Amino acid sequence: MEAMNPVPWRKHEDLDRFAVERNVPVTLGGKVVIADRVVKTSCPHNCYDTCGERVYVKDEKVIKIEGDPDHPITRGHLCLKGFANVAKINSPDRVKYPLLRVGERGEGKFKRITWDEAMDFMVEKLTKIREQYGPEALSEYCYSGNREHMAKTVMGRFLNLYGASKLVGSFCLLSGAAGSFHTVGTQHTMMPDVWCEKAEVIMIVGRNSSATNPHIYPFLYRAKERGAKLIVVDPYATGLASKADLHLRPRPGTDGAMALGMMHWIIKKGLQDQAFIDQYTYGFEELKKLVEPWTPEYTQEVTTIPKEQIIEAAELFATHKSHLECGYGQQRYSNGHQTQRALACLAAICGRIGKEDGGYNFIDSMGFPSVGEHAFANTARVTNPEGADIPPARMINIASFATAIHEAKDPPIKAVIAYRGGLISQQPNVDYTIEAVKSLDLFVVIEQFMTDDTDYADLVLPGCHYLEQYGLHPSYWHHYLQLQVPVCQPPYECVPDIEIFEELGRRMGYEAYFPRERTGLDYIRMMVGDHCDLDKALSPNGPLRLPEEYCPRVPYADHKFDTPSGKVELYSNTMEQRGKEFPGDFCPLPHFLEPDESLPGTPELAKKYPINVISQHPAFRTHSQYYNLPWIQEIEGPAKIYINPEDAQERGIQDGDLVRVFNDRGELVNILARVSRRIKPHVAEMSSGMWVKLGGSVNKLTSCSVGGPRDIMSTGGIMYAYHPLLDGNTGGYFNTLIDIQKM
Amino acid sequence: MEKTKQLTLYVDTRRCMGCRACETACKLENALPAGPRYTMVTETEVVEDGVDKLKFLPVPCQHCADAPCVKACPTGALFKREDGVVLVNRRKCIGCHECLWSCPFGVPQFGVDGKMQKCTLCAFRLDRGEMPACARACPAEAILVGTTEEISATLRSRYGAQCAAAQMMSQGRCDPPQTAK
Repeated sequence: MEAMNPVPWRKHEDLDRFAVERNVPVTLGGKVVIADRVVKTSCPHNCYDTCGERVYVKDEKVIKIEGDPDHPITRGHLCLKGFANVAKINSPDRVKYPLLRVGERGEGKFKRITWDEAMDFMVEKLTKIREQYGPEALSEYCYSGNREHMAKTVMGRFLNLYGASKLVGSFCLLSGAAGSFHTVGTQHTMMPDVWCEKAEVIMIVGRNSSATNPHIYPFLYRAKERGAKLIVVDPYATGLASKADLHLRPRPGTDGAMALGMMHWIIKKGLQDQAFIDQYTYGFEELKKLVEPWTPEYTQEVTTIPKEQIIEAAELFATHKSHLECGYGQQRYSNGHQTQRALACLAAICGRIGKEDGGYNFIDSMGFPSVGEHAFANTARVTNPEGADIPPARMINIASFATAIHEAKDPPIKAVIAYRGGLISQQPNVDYTIEAVKSLDLFVVIEQFMTDDTDYADLVLPGCHYLEQYGLHPSYWHHYLQLQVPVCQPPYECVPDIEIFEELGRRMGYEAYFPRERTGLDYIRMMVGDHCDLDKALSPNGPLRLPEEYCPRVPYADHKFDTPSGKVELYSNTMEQRGKEFPGDFCPLPHFLEPDESLPGTPELAKKYPINVISQHPAFRTHSQYYNLPWIQEIEGPAKIYINPEDAQERGIQDGDLVRVFNDRGELVNILARVSRRIKPHVAEMSSGMWVKLGGSVNKLTSCSVGGPRDIMSTGGIMYAYHPLLDGNTGGYFNTLIDIQKM
Repeated sequence: MEKTKQLTLYVDTRRCMGCRACETACKLENALPAGPRYTMVTETEVVEDGVDKLKFLPVPCQHCADAPCVKACPTGALFKREDGVVLVNRRKCIGCHECLWSCPFGVPQFGVDGKMQKCTLCAFRLDRGEMPACARACPAEAILVGTTEEISATLRSRYGAQCAAAQMMSQGRCDPPQTAK
């Protein structure tokens, strides 16, 4: 038994109960292998699709994975990362044991220690830090590496008992989510199997589905094959844009201006849905006034989209049964909240909200299932255990995490426990982040591999792959839930995240709150309560269609919006109100702001750095994950930058040259230049998520500016009141100017 | 061999969008390390009516009707099955690369043992009545495997209505379909 479970306190459950089938023949390497069992789960890697999966296990090892054909949206298909999970979970490079740093931070020198030693080390340090600085000197760092919500909640229980600072916000999409929430209220999405049958025009903004949402395609093609037209808005000729009937290519950060220009034309030509506007919207006259100057000529000047295309898109969208599908690229600028507001207003004035032949999709509220009064999951039941004395704690915004470490006083941030997120590779301005990390007294990283973060850690703990632990990750795009279950026992001395937190909690003196018999599934049940039969989402069952009351088939069909006016707010009362309480751009109308760094917005800087670099999510990674797998590296090749032939010629750069990419924040060297018309002049593209230590991280260059109405930088990322949907936040990653030189 | 039995792998290029799921699905199915690649998605930049676009095409073995590799192989290691699938008997392969020189698609791969290996159209899956791994994986449902009749039927169901409508419209016989122009 000990050999089976080298960590005595690690749970060892009978996982056979999750088997859909046992002793299943499965083809592998040209042979038929008999798997012990096949288990249903789903992928929690922060993706629209949240695919249903069938995982084959033999001798407690994952041997094969395939899409679950029972899933009505992902239909038995996976992406390239989905299949690569088999290589990832079985990788010889997994972190196998607790490791203690023996070299300097950044050197990557460690020695193997036991779990007992690792726990003692943490307990001693955390106790000392609390005595010296107070409990708020500790913060977690956690994001969406495994985006399921339960483990964070269990960690929240520990952090609350300790009295740590609270990590809030997002550096991903809350800028747009706030913009959208201020306009239509609670966020809902309509599933693609609904709109694909009747929509006549589909407009997709800021999303390259080929990389981040491949399961939309059968539905998109169904619509196109019926005769629907596809409009794609993206500065870059992506895989998705290549399928478009009309591809609008705005200058990065001007999608909001484009929407204002489209609204100008629609109103000028009287193409708006006046009946919908009169009955269901608030503030049309003010909006009309706002868009008045946005003539096609002026819009072209700002966005660089030819005015004929703006007019064509406006007329197509307004005169058909149109569906607007918004991604997250357009809101990764400092003006992201207003951009998303403008897009929501565009859908509203055309009456494209609440109809099954096309609606307005940004993110489903299931993407943040515990936010709001009528939330699907109640995290407080886990984070605030009964009988515990939980003091109020200051909040740290993740969109300004490094800034908070640099600037927080009273107390300073001295300890960080990081899991499910690449702090150094994913936060903007890498050098600034590394400097922050170096100032910590304790940096613990729970990881599956030796990443950029682990190199700077004092203690590295062997974490689990998502296939080795429980999870709750409802999709933020479709409405089918399949709970993540451990399909196999963890290998080596790897421990599921929550069991690390629980054991740490017990050793810190909170035994009463971390009973040994409780599993991740129990915590999920505590969060969700009894308004949803989770057994139907638990292997061998599933997926489960989430209840209509949380995920209506046709959102807003009743035309009820939980905004102050009960209508779609073209003029936002909540922004006006919030703006009186907090600093930031709470302009109640979706005005256009230049991003913090842009060619026309910061002309002096643009003289020095005349190229705007955008960093898309490639198909090869979820953020920085999977980058280290040979299968993936073989397909992707070396770090590269796409530049326009015009910019290349000016710099004497030819396709295939090695270049230096730089600005005041940092530089990257020996990057492969791809000279390509897929990118506009004065714009360059580098894919995000490459590792810093492997030389390709675009975040060496990206700026620390933040999107969303609330200005969080003025308080150094420290806050005492915060609401994710009123205040927002997104990293303004694409507000980044650079220059390029031939090596 | 009846013509209709020849299996074909057809990529509906209108649908392939460059996600490359087929590549890792193939690696997994065939238990391949980095190195041999049985399928690769090619990416080409084109300008269509003044618009920049990317075109994608996965290139696994085409299982040619008249396969040049089979003719080129000096040891008879390469052969064509009844259903048209081109396979290699690795015991007979001497690693001479003649097949690579003769293949117009650059399909033959050579791993560390120096012997030829390549896409088998997942013959062992076909024999079990399962689709090849790439076709099973494809999120865009762009990779089709079957006889030419089967593939034509799928394409007709996808595009037939459009073509018929366009033809009738061009002859002035009906109103445009009730969708966007």
